Amino acid sequence: MIEVKNISKDFVSPKKYPGLKGAVKGLFSNEKVVKTAVDDISFSIRKGEIVGYIGSNGAGKSTTIKMMTGILTPTKGTCRVAGINPNQNRKENAKNIGVVFGQRTQLWWDLPLGESFTILKEIYDVPAEDFSARMDFLNDVLELQDFIDRPVRTLSLGQRMRADLGAALLHNPKVLYLDEPTIGLDLVVKDNIRRAIKQINEKYQTTVILTTHDIGDIEELCSRIIIIDEGKLIYDGSLANLKDTYGNKRKISMEIRQPWKLKELHLEETFGVGEDGCSTEFIEETNSFCVTFDKHRIQVPQVLSAVMEVTEVKDVQIQETELAQIVKEIYNHGTAEGR
Amino acid sequence: MGRLLKIYMPFASNELKRQLAYRGAFYLFIITSLFSSFISYYLWMAVYGSSGQGVLGGLTQNEMVVYIFMVYVTSSIVTVSLSTWVSDDVVQGTVAMNLIKPIDYRLSLIAKALGRVSFQFLAPAVFVWIGLEIYKVTVLDMAPVSVMGVVLYLFSSGMSFLLFVLFDFCFGMIAFFTTYIFGLRMVKEALLGFLTGQLIPISFFPEAVQRVFGFLPFSSMIYTPVMIYLGKYTGRTLAFMLLRQGIWVLALYGLGSLIWKMVTKRLVVLGG
Repeated sequence: MIEVKNISKDFVSPKKYPGLKGAVKGLFSNEKVVKTAVDDISFSIRKGEIVGYIGSNGAGKSTTIKMMTGILTPTKGTCRVAGINPNQNRKENAKNIGVVFGQRTQLWWDLPLGESFTILKEIYDVPAEDFSARMDFLNDVLELQDFIDRPVRTLSLGQRMRADLGAALLHNPKVLYLDEPTIGLDLVVKDNIRRAIKQINEKYQTTVILTTHDIGDIEELCSRIIIIDEGKLIYDGSLANLKDTYGNKRKISMEIRQPWKLKELHLEETFGVGEDGCSTEFIEETNSFCVTFDKHRIQVPQVLSAVMEVTEVKDVQIQETELAQIVKEIYNHGTAEGR
Repeated sequence: MGRLLKIYMPFASNELKRQLAYRGAFYLFIITSLFSSFISYYLWMAVYGSSGQGVLGGLTQNEMVVYIFMVYVTSSIVTVSLSTWVSDDVVQGTVAMNLIKPIDYRLSLIAKALGRVSFQFLAPAVFVWIGLEIYKVTVLDMAPVSVMGVVLYLFSSGMSFLLFVLFDFCFGMIAFFTTYIFGLRMVKEALLGFLTGQLIPISFFPEAVQRVFGFLPFSSMIYTPVMIYLGKYTGRTLAFMLLRQGIWVLALYGLGSLIWKMVTKRLVVLGG
């Protein structure tokens, strides 16, 4: 459905100098600064996939999306969406796509929501029967009827986001781009939006590309994720694979009775692993003893029994490494090998 | 054509509705703009009174009254600050929202401008116009305008509208390069006041200046339809004037398309 090949985007801006003196200097200098926002990215996405496109702030996510929607022209490389080059055929491409930019609205600010939908119906040339059928469906999943008569400017953020999602789906696009669709929303609305995206994907086989900073969005919706950092693609694969490769650490916290006996415990030696295989930590205030270890090399019961041999344990908690943790680590490292 | 209307008419009717929603601001604008017409009326009356001549720049005192108020009516039909919309779209980054829809940005702006102009025409230009005709016949003792005169005037004003919005679109494109065009817009408005004949009829200028003005598209925007209304152009001159308007419409349309192509190549969307 989507083919992105070696796409790059440079932004050229005049060089700025600091201070007032710099501002004057800037008037006469002709130096340019080139910033590469997207650097040689390739991927392809099949019909019906929901792909999470993630990266830290300024990594180039939105720039890639804008190139795929035909708003920006790539400096190098090409992309095809449903067989159309969005840059050369912006209007043709626009008929195939729906876009929600979480921070903006595509609705008409001063008009009642219903009117916005009528205008979109004309723009996308949606036949009357399709229009009413789809409105019913959207009403169902997004509950638009509560505020369909109100001007868009009076809607709350959550209502506006639902309305925007509805507007992006009215013409039943083949591809749906969602740029931070859950930004600033409360938990209930977030849940509604996610459910709606899922239902739409199932019902119409819509390909969805989602950028977000909300790990919950990714865990609930995406089967595949693409991570970019500083414009470069650093991971493209399934969510399970990512968790497997990076989420191999497990942590057990135990509340113990006799902390002084911990000295007798030498877990690394017991299991014959080094520092990276197993590390321990004791928190005095809560009397809890935390062991972080590689789950492929050490089993949970082994750890438990080793600890229980030396001291009595009151309570045990076992934690998987969360996706948020993994993503944070990847952002910090800037590289990921797993593919 | 029918399909084109169906797509872009909502932009026009939308703008009309929007104007109705914010009519307080608009009536204030009407009062201030009519105010300046009256200032220019008293100014010209003083000029005619002190000159002791019946005809100045080819216009009698009574024709001057018609000129002043028809300039008001015409600029209501013709001028819409399309470039403001473009620069707002650029500054706020909303231009992206227009580009993700299967519509032509320029056509949608022109449709929106049409909505604005219809509102300006209905409230209050058409009433000023009718009032002027009544005043003309009863007080100034002039013949009322002929049906043909009205038709020709409206046709020429329609061309002027296209000319103006196509020009202002090109002008608005500067915003893509400089982001803000507020200062430039001030300059543009001041210059247009002269070049379109809005402040002083172009016939008042020296011959050489008139020729230069005639070469530019601006005199076709307001001066031409008003002179047509006054019946100053007939026969071949009239045909030439209308043809000149038509040629400028085509030229500016082409220029606009060219600039738009350039702009979309190097477009940067601000904010996120």
